[in-house]
Amino acid sequence: MDKKVKVIPCSGIGKVYGLMAREAALKTVFELLPEKSETVCLAYIVTGDKEAKEKIEGFDCITVDGCPKMCASKNVSIAGGNVIEEVKVLDTVKEHKGKKFGSPTQLDADGEFVMDEIAAKIAKKINELN
Amino acid sequence: MSELKVGIISCSGEECLGGTISRLATRVVLEELKMISTVTLCLPLYLAGGEEERNFAKVFPTISVDGCDKLCAKRSTEKYSGKINGSVDVSKIIGNENALNTKIVRNKDLKDEHLQMVEEVASEIIKMISNLSPDSYKGKAFHGCSCGSE
Repeated sequence: MDKKVKVIPCSGIGKVYGLMAREAALKTVFELLPEKSETVCLAYIVTGDKEAKEKIEGFDCITVDGCPKMCASKNVSIAGGNVIEEVKVLDTVKEHKGKKFGSPTQLDADGEFVMDEIAAKIAKKINELN
Repeated sequence: MSELKVGIISCSGEECLGGTISRLATRVVLEELKMISTVTLCLPLYLAGGEEERNFAKVFPTISVDGCDKLCAKRSTEKYSGKINGSVDVSKIIGNENALNTKIVRNKDLKDEHLQMVEEVASEIIKMISNLSPDSYKGKAFHGCSCGSE
């Protein structure tokens, strides 16, 4: 593990906002800033395994959450990650009232559009750090 | 009146293809299985949520779906919630090399071959649900509260 910023989404499975969180995080780490960011399986963090904790303990982390329960942020904090930014999908969604974003399985065109916006926000934050 | 439902918990791992397949296969079962009611819960809610979420495996006969052999969904459910009734290891179905693929993870990158894997895993989940013994439902029944998302 290097000093890349960890971008960790909730990947919530019940609502489209969880998929938007997941896809925005993955777009950031695979497409926008692969040299500066990476992700860690949230499910692995939840296990509490020592090896999982070591992946994020003390590292700068950006969490991306699809609902107010803030699962990604809370779990990363519990495991010792340094949460430098809590990205809330609903904050961006509110700016696009009336649009249909898709389902928890597949994003529609508007969902992709808003997801791109969220990914750009995450990337901007990472670039500000470096 | 109580209603029988089966809980499915997916790892949804973000680091490799197995997690994506586990998440999508779980969604397929939730959306398409009509014979038996199914319900799910976001795995990280075991820690981020409350008692209601941690009761998931006590309320529903539960099947875990994991993308790799770390079996995070299975282990976390048994650690925080209760004994599971079945476990699907996606890597055993699609092979370790596919499951641990770190290049193809996003939905948009999936090809026909990966969608076929989703169908295979969904079939395995359905098979496991069909094979749940009647004992799996003992003491477990959904009474109308909503601690999961359908």
